Amino acid sequence: MFEWGDDTFKSLVKRTEPTALDKDKEAKTPAHLKAKIYSRLLSIQSETGPLASLTATSTNGRGLCVFEEAVRILPIGEQVKSLNFCKVCHARLLGEKLSKALIYWKNCPYADFHRS
Amino acid sequence: MGDRELVDALLGKDRKATAEFVGRYSDAVYSYVRSRLIPHTDRTDDLVQEVFMTAWQQLGSFRAESSLHTWLLAIARHKVQDHYRALLRQPASLEEWDETPALISMPQFDDILDAQRLSAKVALTLAALSEQYRAALLWRYWENCSVRDMAQRTNKTEKAIERLLARARKAFKEGWDHV
Repeated sequence: MFEWGDDTFKSLVKRTEPTALDKDKEAKTPAHLKAKIYSRLLSIQSETGPLASLTATSTNGRGLCVFEEAVRILPIGEQVKSLNFCKVCHARLLGEKLSKALIYWKNCPYADFHRS
Repeated sequence: MGDRELVDALLGKDRKATAEFVGRYSDAVYSYVRSRLIPHTDRTDDLVQEVFMTAWQQLGSFRAESSLHTWLLAIARHKVQDHYRALLRQPASLEEWDETPALISMPQFDDILDAQRLSAKVALTLAALSEQYRAALLWRYWENCSVRDMAQRTNKTEKAIERLLARARKAFKEGWDHV
C-alpha cells in the first residue's frame, strides 16, 4: 500500500502528456487569432512612434500589398509612408473576424494567415 | 531570415517582419499554451496574445543566447504559470479536507502498455478535477515547479501548497479509479 505522492506523479509525467484528449493538439493557431496578434503588435508599435516606412520595407526586399505599393510610389513624405495602413483596411476586419476569410491580396499578412 | 535579423527588423518596426514573427512562432506558442490549459481552453487566445505583447515589450533584451522559439516559449511558460497562480490564489473550496492520505495499491503504470491510453486516462482524470486542483497538479508536476516556488508566487505557505497538492492528488486518485 502506497500513497499517491510525488514519486507517483513524477512517474506519470515521464510517460504522459495532459494533451492526450485534445483532438486539436496538432492544430495550428486559428487565422483570426494570428490576425489579432498582428494587429495588436502593429498598434502597439505605432503608439511609440512611426513604423518603418514602406520604402524601407520594400528596400529590404519585403513585398508590399497593392495598397501599400500605391502609397509607396506616391510623391509624399516618408512620415506618411510610416503610418499603420492596415488599421483602416477591410482585410484586417475580415481577417480578425472570420475563421476563413476570403482575402486574396498578394503580400497581405491577413491573407497569408488565412492561407497558411 | 535568422532570429537576429528578424529581431532587428522587429525592433525597426518593420510591419512585414512583424507578420513573419507572428506567422513563424504562433503555432508553437499556441500549441504549448493550449496544452497547459486543457480541457478549459477558453483562455488560450488571450494568453497567446499576451505572450506576443510581452515579447514585443521585452524584445530589446533578447540576446540570442537561446533561439527566439525557446525565448518565446519561456515567456509562454511564465504566462501559464501566472494563470495557475491566479487560480491557486482563489479562496480554497469549502469542502471538508479529509486528512487521510490516499492509500491505495501503487499503480502499475508499466502494466498499461499503451502510452497513448495511459495519457488519455491522465487527461480524462485531470479534466474531471476542479480547476484549482488541476492547475496545482499541472504546475507542480508537468511544469516541474517546486512547492517553494509555488508558495512564493501565490503568497501562500509551503504547508498550504502541500495541503492543496495532497487534496489534488487524492482527488486525482479517486478520479483515476473511476475512469
